[in-house]
Amino acid sequence: MIQVENLRKEFKKTIKEPGLKGSFKSLFKPKTERVVAVDDISFEVPKGEILGFIGPNGAGKSTVIKMLTGILTPTSGRCTINGKNPTVNRKSYVKEIGVVFGQRTQLWWDLPLRETYGVLKEIYEVDEKSYRERMAFLNETLDLESFISSPVRTLSLGQRMRADIAASLLHSPKVLFLDEPTIGLDVVVKDNIRRAIEQINRQEQTTVILTTHDLADIELLADRIVMIDKGKNVFDGSVGELKTRYGQMRELNFVTDSTDPESALSYREHFSLDSEDVSVKREGSSVKVRFNSEAVAVSDILAYTLATVRVNDISVKDADIEEIIRRLYKQGVD
Amino acid sequence: MKRAFRIYFPFINAGMQETATYRVNWIFYILGSVLGCFVSYFIWHAVFLSGEGETMNGFTLPQMIVYIFLIFLTSTMIGSDAAWAVGEEVRDGSIAMRLIKPVSYNATFLFQELGNKLLTEMFLVVPLIAGLEIVRTILVGSLQFSVVNLLIYLCSCVLAYLINFFFNICFGFIAFVIKYLWGANMMKNCIVGFLSGAIIPLSFLPETLGRIFMILPFASLNYTPVMIYMGVYQGAELLYFLGLQVFWALFFWGLSKLLWVISVKRLSVQGG
Amino acid sequence: MKQIKRLFRIHRIFVAQELKRMMEYKGDFIVGVIGFLMVQCSNLLFLWIIFNNIPSLMGWSLNEVVFIYGFSLIPKGIDHLFFDNLWAIGHFTVRKGDFDKYLTRPVNTLVHVMFEKLQIDALGELVMGIALVCVSLPQLSIEWSVLKVLLGIAAIFFATFIFTGIKTITAAVAFWSKRSGNIIYMVYMFNDFAKYPVTIYNEFVKNLITYVIPFAFTAYYPALYLLTGENPLYNVGMTVLLSAALMSLGVFVWNRGIRAYESAGS
Repeated sequence: MIQVENLRKEFKKTIKEPGLKGSFKSLFKPKTERVVAVDDISFEVPKGEILGFIGPNGAGKSTVIKMLTGILTPTSGRCTINGKNPTVNRKSYVKEIGVVFGQRTQLWWDLPLRETYGVLKEIYEVDEKSYRERMAFLNETLDLESFISSPVRTLSLGQRMRADIAASLLHSPKVLFLDEPTIGLDVVVKDNIRRAIEQINRQEQTTVILTTHDLADIELLADRIVMIDKGKNVFDGSVGELKTRYGQMRELNFVTDSTDPESALSYREHFSLDSEDVSVKREGSSVKVRFNSEAVAVSDILAYTLATVRVNDISVKDADIEEIIRRLYKQGVD
Repeated sequence: MKRAFRIYFPFINAGMQETATYRVNWIFYILGSVLGCFVSYFIWHAVFLSGEGETMNGFTLPQMIVYIFLIFLTSTMIGSDAAWAVGEEVRDGSIAMRLIKPVSYNATFLFQELGNKLLTEMFLVVPLIAGLEIVRTILVGSLQFSVVNLLIYLCSCVLAYLINFFFNICFGFIAFVIKYLWGANMMKNCIVGFLSGAIIPLSFLPETLGRIFMILPFASLNYTPVMIYMGVYQGAELLYFLGLQVFWALFFWGLSKLLWVISVKRLSVQGG
Repeated sequence: MKQIKRLFRIHRIFVAQELKRMMEYKGDFIVGVIGFLMVQCSNLLFLWIIFNNIPSLMGWSLNEVVFIYGFSLIPKGIDHLFFDNLWAIGHFTVRKGDFDKYLTRPVNTLVHVMFEKLQIDALGELVMGIALVCVSLPQLSIEWSVLKVLLGIAAIFFATFIFTGIKTITAAVAFWSKRSGNIIYMVYMFNDFAKYPVTIYNEFVKNLITYVIPFAFTAYYPALYLLTGENPLYNVGMTVLLSAALMSLGVFVWNRGIRAYESAGS
């Protein structure tokens, strides 16, 4: 449904030399260099999938999204939705998509929310009947009734986000682009929004492309992940595959009466491990041990811990996706 | 000493770099305003051509040209955003923050604005005055420029700025009463502009009106410094008008302090 | 046709909103209009004082000058009323990265930007212009004909788009340079020349505002036609031609600008 083929975007950046002399030079004779923000990216998204789009800051994620949403023109390559290309016919392409920018609102600041949807109805040419059904549905899913008469500028962040999502879905788009939709929201609101996205995806088969730094979003919503680093596509697969390939990290949690467990437990020396492979964090009587299950077996580390300290409660779990991503961001993908 | 320099220089450096980028934008703004000056010049040129004789209300054409551009220069130099800044702080309540700080309210803002001005004015004063005097010398045929006048003019400008600054601070307190400061600001600028001789030299006005305007504080903002530069005010008259400037500066300084005290009382009663 | 009706429906919602806002903040609105009228009045005072000292301005009487001045305010006021949002593009929208949303909607971006805002304060400008024209008209011995009236109205309509075209071009520069607000300001300054009869200027200025930044065709030339009845083909025809040319150029530069648009940050 969504095809991205050899997408490439270059920017011309002016180089400012450091110091006072540099900034005056840049005023009169600016030197420019070509920066490749997106370097030959290709992937496909089938209909109805929720795709998680991740990568470190400055990796080129937002640039790709902006090309997919018709904001930027690619330097080369192309992207299409059901064969439609935004550079060929922007208006026709854009009718099929909905976009939510987490950090900026698309709504009109001074208009009451209800009026906003009225304008969007005209802009997207939604007929009266569909509009009414749609508003009822969105109202129910996102719970807009309580603030639908208020001007947008008076809404709280959580309300505004819900309003923005509703705005992006008003015209029943085939694809929904969400750029950091849960940023700055409290736990309860985040949960509601995730549930709403999931419901819409399930009921309407809306393809969702979700850019986020909140890895819980990924874990709970994404069917598949594409990871971008330094403008290149470095991983394309399901969450499970990510964990299998890079998820050797496990977490050992236990509760102990011991007053100084850290000095008693010397995992590094005992198992001859690098500092990369094991880390210990203590909070009161709870201890969290992160370890590389390829460097030391689960059963070994379990046995050693039980033998060394008095343990009241113990569990082992998969490292969460955050750990995996953190390492990947730091080290790059080899 | 060297260490202090090494610590503070990066800040000055950064500030200047920021101004350098901001400068391009500012240049267009100044060019636009200078253009406005030229419109004025061309109209006056046509006016003089249509009139009889060499002078009009005491001005020759070369003098009128100097007047127009000097008024522009003076307005730019004495301009102050104080009303706007105070208004904003009243509007969003951050004026309460100033209560907590043990610094004179006026002083912090004054020095900040002076700092901004110093850098930008340097770029404007020299070329404008140089260009003006060159043109004037050519038109009149002899050098009219006087360093003494220039220096006293600059002193007068400083006084004029102080009057403008404190007047604007007082005006800003209106924000406690009026919500829509933008419109009120426009009205203030218009009235002050007219009364200060920015639209038309005060000597063009009917006698009694002109004399009233001369005493009002606004004439001291623009008309007085320009008259000093042009050498119109000399001797006793010069001292009189300089003294008037000092009077108004002190008056508005005092008034701003009074309004500040009243506002503080009002804030504490209302609970911020 | 359906498309145009749709665009006007969108526009109506914003107009209704602006009127509502005006009703809610009546005080602000009145102060804004008065402030504006004051500025205009001081300009008129200037003219009145000048004419106290001279019999005529290079052959133009006070009434004629007031007529031209008032006439110049009308197309400027109409453009200010409807298309003021372009100033925002040059000053903030592109720089702050708020332009993206226009590109994600199935409406022509330029039309969308223009329709989003109604600057009701501009009514002050418009009213003043009409008032000045009405005041000076009886004193001027103009021979009226149906043709003159029609051409006059056409001239005002097209003159409005000379402003809009120039504003679009200068605003679009922001797509490349991130901000062009002060460029718009500087170019608009040339309009101050056009408020007066261009014959009072020297050749250089006259040519500048006639051929380069043709503000002279928003006031002087059409007004000249109304006053003298001469040369309608040039005086009004050029206005029509230039407004079409400038609008086309504006649309062209705008579209180019969007292609070069780089968006902001993340």
